[in-house]
Amino acid sequence: MHSQSDKAALRARDFWGALILIGVSLFFLWRTLDIPLWGGNRAGVSTAEWYNSAAIVPLGIFSALLILSVILLIVSLRAGGARLAFTSVGLGWDRFEALRFSAIAVILFFYIAGLVPRVDFILSSGRLISCLTVVCYNGVTRRILVAAMSVAVAGVYAMTQNFPQAEWRAHDDDIATLLIWMGLTLWAMRYARGERVLQAMPLVAVLFPVMLVCAMAFGFRQNVPNRGGFVFSQIEYHYYVTLRPLWRP
Amino acid sequence: MDFLVTHLIGFGSAFLALTLDPLTYIYLIISIFLGITFGALPGLTATLAVTILTGFFGNKVPLDYSLIALRGAYVGAIYGGSYPAILLNIPGTAASAATAMDGYQLAKAGRGGEALGLTTTASFIGTLIGSAALLVFVWALLLLSQNIASPEKALLALFGILLSGTLMSEDLVIKGWISGLVGLAMAMVGLDPLLSEPRYTFGWSYMLSGFQVVPVLMGAFAVPQIIEGMRHAQIGQLAELRGRIRPSFARVKQYLPTITRSGVIGTGVGALPGVGEDVAGWVSYGVGKSVSPDSHKFGKGSIEGLLSSETANNACIGGALIPLLVLGIPGSPPAAALLGAFKLNNIIPGPTIDPEIILRVVAIMVLASFTMFLIGLFTARVFVKILLLPKVAFLPIVMVLTTIGSFSVGGGINDLYLMLGVGFVAYFMSLQKFPIAPLVIGVILGGLFDETFRRSLLISGGDLSVFISRPVAAILLGLNLALITSQTSLAKHLFRRVKNRV
Repeated sequence: MHSQSDKAALRARDFWGALILIGVSLFFLWRTLDIPLWGGNRAGVSTAEWYNSAAIVPLGIFSALLILSVILLIVSLRAGGARLAFTSVGLGWDRFEALRFSAIAVILFFYIAGLVPRVDFILSSGRLISCLTVVCYNGVTRRILVAAMSVAVAGVYAMTQNFPQAEWRAHDDDIATLLIWMGLTLWAMRYARGERVLQAMPLVAVLFPVMLVCAMAFGFRQNVPNRGGFVFSQIEYHYYVTLRPLWRP
Repeated sequence: MDFLVTHLIGFGSAFLALTLDPLTYIYLIISIFLGITFGALPGLTATLAVTILTGFFGNKVPLDYSLIALRGAYVGAIYGGSYPAILLNIPGTAASAATAMDGYQLAKAGRGGEALGLTTTASFIGTLIGSAALLVFVWALLLLSQNIASPEKALLALFGILLSGTLMSEDLVIKGWISGLVGLAMAMVGLDPLLSEPRYTFGWSYMLSGFQVVPVLMGAFAVPQIIEGMRHAQIGQLAELRGRIRPSFARVKQYLPTITRSGVIGTGVGALPGVGEDVAGWVSYGVGKSVSPDSHKFGKGSIEGLLSSETANNACIGGALIPLLVLGIPGSPPAAALLGAFKLNNIIPGPTIDPEIILRVVAIMVLASFTMFLIGLFTARVFVKILLLPKVAFLPIVMVLTTIGSFSVGGGINDLYLMLGVGFVAYFMSLQKFPIAPLVIGVILGGLFDETFRRSLLISGGDLSVFISRPVAAILLGLNLALITSQTSLAKHLFRRVKNRV
């Protein structure tokens, strides 16, 4: 299973994990007190008895979670977890791993929170495919930083320029994303000689989102993110106005 | 006897209806192909395949087609893991870890075609054995369902969460329980099921409807795998695929005892809630080694070793569905994803499930295993080419699939925030060796536990003896308590003393 050093590292990380869990349990136990337990009154209407209260099950769950977290902390302390907790073993990551994770986290965060709601899904997804491929292919630090930065810039632009939902249909962020994506693709192509995955990346990044969105919207008839997006709105228009009348006049 | 005849007729008509529907084959072929591809690419797993397809087919197509797609992907992915195990010495999924021991040695010796052909046949027979066991257990379901009410349902849900936490934990058992409790806690968010009291919504109207299953599934199973898998890895040295893939009847007959034994072991191990295909493969491999007269060849290119593992991991699929369908407790992580798909369709697996659904599931399993067999035998060389593709080319595509799958379920952008949040939490939990499947099981069964636990107390007027006054409830309560106390140091000490005396 695990070697002794692996176990020591795990117990050190458990120290932090247990502390976080204790904090979370205590916070939610405190929040549970807001739910009437002993037959409270809501707008003049008496609520249920203790055994039927909406608080009874959460109270049990968070109490059990608190107890188990304390046990985990004790196990960690007994195994010397606290001693190693502040070392690199306890924190668990080396420098490159931290960089790799941070880059992926930044890309995913700005993709989901910034781009998907505001930018055309085909553009934002094509961009995600390009960036993640550049980040992970060969694992070169400079490439990782450039790819993560490019998504962050596009995401920050979309969020700052068109933050409220009423402005999500604006197209300036679509164009900004497209330009940054093209820039990243051209930059990545400099390194693509002899690297088949990087060579194929632009084609996959364009074709896959287009096919997926069309299949979802016109095949499965499902909602897709940002229907009013720069590219998808054109596809949708020509599907219903130009193409569909061919087989359904 | 009437029971047996009724069920055989039920199974026969379900199977016939499936085979006569042309759409069945479209869903089956696509899903099995996708499943084998996911299994064949190291870093993409059976759980991921089933999870992603749950997002796409969970509630967008009729349940039958959804089940066909999900079962097809599950069967295909477990089988697909054998390709890199045999040709690259890298298991495509954890289930194929034991396969690599002998498979790669055989491929290096120029017997890769024979190994793949026999593996395909053994996986097919293994799936059939698991499916037959599943059919038999419909009886157990019918007997159990007579005595199940709210107290039993609450205790069963708790037992499922505790047991999966106990068995799926790689490190400390309490980590599995903590994971299950975190899942249960997540299920408490939203309007409570009896009084519609808002809980932990923090004034956000989206939270009133609680956490949706698909974003949680995607976040818990897909996002950590994408984050973990997005690192550069060299493709290993692919062994040349030489020899005829289609095995002769005589060779299959020669290994039939091994295949049958491994199928039964795989089904039995799979039926233990929370124990997955990887354990089934290793247990069967271990048994095979201890009973075989050629045990010295195990690990050096033994066909028997290869088949012991590969038959068992596919037989485990049918086994893993037994606790899922009969008790509502998933037998493996992909079965947990399948539980999510059932919930999306408002079907709660367990003693009160419609037995017809089980008959249809068995029929789908049988048809899926036939299709997998044919695809495996005739298109193996296509999948060998897929092995040459690096996973970093696939994982970004998987992320886009995950995003649109979560979005299209209905919650819109908020579901994506939920997916990402759950994904990051699950990633950090998996770094600390907290099992993720109990968390998902907790989220899925949490609502049922909350509702049935409080309904039991409501009916009894707050009298806790409702959980011991009914025989089945008393047994389940005993099992829950035994499970918890068995992990205490006192119980472990007592076990050790008894074991030493024996």
